[in-house]
Amino acid sequence: MGEFRFFRPTELKELLDFKAREGSRARILDGGSNVLVYINEGSIAGGTLVDVKSLDAIKGIAERDGRLEIGAGELIADVIDSELIKKKAPFLREALQKFANPLVRNMATLAGNIADSSPIGDTIPPLLVLEAEVVTASANGERVIALEEFFTGPGQNVLEEQEVICKVRFPLPAGGKGGHVKLGLRRGTSCSVASVAVWAVADKNTVKDIRIALGGVAPTALRARKSEAAFKGQSLDWDRIEELSQRVMEEISPITDVRASAEYRKKVCPALLAKAVRQALGMEE
Amino acid sequence: MKDSYSVIGTRIAGMDEKDKALGNVVFAEDFTLPGMLHGKVFRATKASARIKGLDVSKARALPGVVCVLTAEDVPNNESVKNVVGQTTEVGLLEAKHQVLVRERVRYWGEAIALIAAESPVIARDALKLIEVEYEDLPAVFDPLEAMKPEAPKIHGNNNVIASWKLRKGDVEKGFAQADAIVENTYRTPRQEHAHIEPESGVAWIDDMGVINVRYAAQVIEHYRDIATVLGVPESRVRVIGTLMGGGFGGKEDVTVEVFLALMAWKTGLPVKLTFTREEMGYGRHKRHPYVLKYKTGATKDGKLVAMEAQIVSDAGAYVYLSPWVLIYSTVHSTGPYLIPNVKVDANSVLTNNIMTSAFRGFGGMQAVAAYEAQMDDLAEKLGMDPIELRAKNFLKKGDITASYQEITSEVWLEKCARAAVDALGPKSKGGKTKKIGRGFACAWQSYGRMTYLHDTSNCWVNLEMDGSAVVRTGIPDLGGGQRESVRAVAAEVLGLNIEEIHVISTDSQVTPLSGTVTATRALYMSGNATKLASENVKRIITEKAAEILGVAAEKLDLKDHRVVVLDDPKRSMPLVEAIKQCHFEGKVPQSLATFRAPFTEPISSDVIKDPVFPDFTFGAQAAELEVDTETGEVKVLKWATAYDIGQAINVNRVEGQMEGGVAQGLGFGLMEDYLEVKGVPWTWNLHDYIIPTSKDVPDIKSIVLESGSGKGPFGAKGIGEPAISAAGPAAANAIKDAIGVRITHLPITAERIFFALREARLKADGSVE
Amino acid sequence: MGARNENGLYELCITVNDREIRGKVRAETSLLDFLRDNNFTEVKRGCDTGDCGACTVVKDGRAILSCITLALQAEGSKIYTVKSLGSWDKMHPLQQAFVDYEALQCGFCTPGMLMSAKALLDANPKPTREEIREAISGNLCRCTGYQKIVDAIEAVARGEYR
Repeated sequence: MGEFRFFRPTELKELLDFKAREGSRARILDGGSNVLVYINEGSIAGGTLVDVKSLDAIKGIAERDGRLEIGAGELIADVIDSELIKKKAPFLREALQKFANPLVRNMATLAGNIADSSPIGDTIPPLLVLEAEVVTASANGERVIALEEFFTGPGQNVLEEQEVICKVRFPLPAGGKGGHVKLGLRRGTSCSVASVAVWAVADKNTVKDIRIALGGVAPTALRARKSEAAFKGQSLDWDRIEELSQRVMEEISPITDVRASAEYRKKVCPALLAKAVRQALGMEE
Repeated sequence: MKDSYSVIGTRIAGMDEKDKALGNVVFAEDFTLPGMLHGKVFRATKASARIKGLDVSKARALPGVVCVLTAEDVPNNESVKNVVGQTTEVGLLEAKHQVLVRERVRYWGEAIALIAAESPVIARDALKLIEVEYEDLPAVFDPLEAMKPEAPKIHGNNNVIASWKLRKGDVEKGFAQADAIVENTYRTPRQEHAHIEPESGVAWIDDMGVINVRYAAQVIEHYRDIATVLGVPESRVRVIGTLMGGGFGGKEDVTVEVFLALMAWKTGLPVKLTFTREEMGYGRHKRHPYVLKYKTGATKDGKLVAMEAQIVSDAGAYVYLSPWVLIYSTVHSTGPYLIPNVKVDANSVLTNNIMTSAFRGFGGMQAVAAYEAQMDDLAEKLGMDPIELRAKNFLKKGDITASYQEITSEVWLEKCARAAVDALGPKSKGGKTKKIGRGFACAWQSYGRMTYLHDTSNCWVNLEMDGSAVVRTGIPDLGGGQRESVRAVAAEVLGLNIEEIHVISTDSQVTPLSGTVTATRALYMSGNATKLASENVKRIITEKAAEILGVAAEKLDLKDHRVVVLDDPKRSMPLVEAIKQCHFEGKVPQSLATFRAPFTEPISSDVIKDPVFPDFTFGAQAAELEVDTETGEVKVLKWATAYDIGQAINVNRVEGQMEGGVAQGLGFGLMEDYLEVKGVPWTWNLHDYIIPTSKDVPDIKSIVLESGSGKGPFGAKGIGEPAISAAGPAAANAIKDAIGVRITHLPITAERIFFALREARLKADGSVE
Repeated sequence: MGARNENGLYELCITVNDREIRGKVRAETSLLDFLRDNNFTEVKRGCDTGDCGACTVVKDGRAILSCITLALQAEGSKIYTVKSLGSWDKMHPLQQAFVDYEALQCGFCTPGMLMSAKALLDANPKPTREEIREAISGNLCRCTGYQKIVDAIEAVARGEYR
């Protein structure tokens, strides 16, 4: 095992300067829920573990300029408990309540889940359909990255070595409703086999605008643009939704792993999409 | 008489429970000694290989490492256990195990070397410094392939290491009479025990030169195995069994104890060893996966006429208890039904997969998955109610089974089945994509070990001067309340409160050996031994009190700290007075008693035609669940479990065992599968091997029935293993009810349901994908 | 938190069950290891990967998994283990309910389960059965089937132990 060090900055500038020096050898802990697992299994071989709990700069859940902003240091449990989120983003809240289990929610953060960049990171599809952005900082300044452009492969993203996520933000939903379906292997804590998030603006079941995000069926979570185009402008009923959902199979490239076969993921994805669309339209199951 | 029990049959809040709730219990890993070293096991990363070179020198040289042991350092590295009862052409009659690999690796995870170091971190670092060079050897992973003569041989020259048969009547004639026949091949999963406490222990050499091993043990008699491996007298090894954080058979075979004793003995220092969760996965035995090919026939009025089965179990890389597990499967294979014509051929086959051995249910459980699906499918074919069909065929007291054993206790299966099904209440509403299904399963499961083993259990009860008592028993407690049962039995017989009875247990040199906590034998054996010893003590007291009270001793009873005249309760004397009198005359109120299970001759041939078990517990479970027809996901909505347990000792405990059995059995049926791909483990931790959480198990209704006809104390039957067997099959039958498709491959995952539904849809409308 | 000393260790102080516990840890030492090395062996190790919940403690009012929390992350925090709940002569209502309702068998998951239950009732004194099941969904139990655990917690919430 390599040597590990520990660092707890009290100011953002301290953190950014450290990151500028250490690059990827400085690992941000946020809730810390994944890092020890990686260390114990040997995937991380040394560096500095950075505890950001004292950083006020990455705390806070606020409404600003028509967006909801969630600081990178906010625990998922706190996001769920936030009055602001309850009122203004119930869709995200409901999705987060399915995240892992209460113990993990007391330790994990949205930023951490995003930085982890797993294709099955459960916070990602709902944030994608909310058209979320990630605000980062480094010694060179700030940057805003659309979440849709953030991921480049399993566990990989566009973050530079000295860059740190400061907050996650998304525009206040202007109209429409969301749907979120997660397929796991048990009702309790479960890594997703696949998941679908939908945000639809509809007028009596005719789709004016729709956003679809998929998890667990490709190297990264993604927006299903082809399916979105297929649904847009359509007048939907149960059968039409089912028909249109089949298109999603063209946009995905799932793998076989310990949880499920590629074939199952491929063939069940349309069903998940159909369910999520029906949820967004308020259709009875 | 049942109604006059003071302690047993009530809801007892046990003494151990209080300690557990307070966090006071010192589990195996919680124990530390000064100067203690930390052990680690170096394991093979090949499923079938020869070790060409092994270099531990770098590990030995790491500062802080005190010893690194290989097979050369083990005085008796190969141990041999005779497999009793096999007479014809099978492979090993002797199960050979190796403590550490000398040359040939037979499964991924097999132990090659032991490290003891000054800290867990150094021990872990030293693991990385051991260098191994492997030469790949041919391997086989499918037991059906492994049965073929050309398959690579795991040991000796035959991979089939056990064969058992049932032969009764003439199945050809039987099937000729059948109006309905059901044929299916079932597969059951390799299940991991997944008890929450990992295997762990500490070993040290005490000031009298005795090697002490304090560890989570289901079998404290393993001091003999340790002594054999080390080449020391058995009297120089002491096993202290801790209160276990679950076992379920996983702590029954040798786990950490031999490794611990070796390291302590070699270093002269205390050593602690705890398996990691991953190691529990790839380093320890599992439940046998089975392939069960069944053919069952019945006449149109619902009488079973014939049953034929071919059963194959995957024994993994070492024999362990596979032959015995197969006996259980064979004897239980018919289900609790009277069938006139039976032909069963069962084989257990070695492969390069992880070894398989004891797990709650012990072979009886896999058979339920087959026979209860068969019964439901038969009922469907005959257009009969599934309970009615079964009721026409249940065994009764006095019947002789297909293995030629007489049923000598009550069979309340119909009561159990109806109680369980009724307890589900009104049916839940489904939806467009949610189909509700209900199903139930009946099962029988033996309690008590095989009767040719001359099983015994000892117990020593001592009444103190003030009327409190000490019970010494070797019985281990794996969380099933074995110690509490013993306490309750003694309290009942001696007329005391449970708080006045101290149970000291599970020490191979201090407490009389009570045998293993396995085979649902603990209440039956150690409960009966405690009852015998307590009754002996009671007799010493009543004989003395008889003189004082002027009444025959048989007319006296111990109740509520007094010796009372049965016909005339106002006449009594304080218990402490009687005790004092006994002591004055040197008649110490203590007794060391041995309970002997009834003996039957060993199985004389591969065709089992002899009684094998003392008795059986009969019960049923019913489930209601919802299947999402779009994804295959299952949501379990309701559950009921009903068992005749003879006589409850502690009602809380009985229900607790039943409910725990539901959860563990539900896992077997719906989600648990220890996967190996070409012998390489895929699901070695609790992240990938999923067991039911609180959201996966519904509210459970437990119905405890008491026929009083068991062989245990006060007419009790065992519940530990019976509680689990019917659960998975109940869920399987409920799924069949929901979607109209029989899925024969357990666990029945969403993926399997999804594709079964698609296949059924395609067949139905003949469309092309 | 002190600086890293020459052995690669950091000094720290964590308040556990209202006592200040000082120690020296590596950067990657888990809170679970710190607790157990300081004789808080009532906090159990079941998996070391955050998958079983046996290591659950309450940290600053929240139930968390100590095996995947760094000890240094808990510096300055208030940690409570099952031993903070009650004693032989004065059991906490949850502990008494667990005993009365047989909400434990082997008892290994119990210390963690009780802390999740405590955190639940502190935040939500009258949970539904579904909310109880959700709150303990990160605590695996292999013995009880969860039935009596839910019953016991519900009994306390109902006021049976006031």
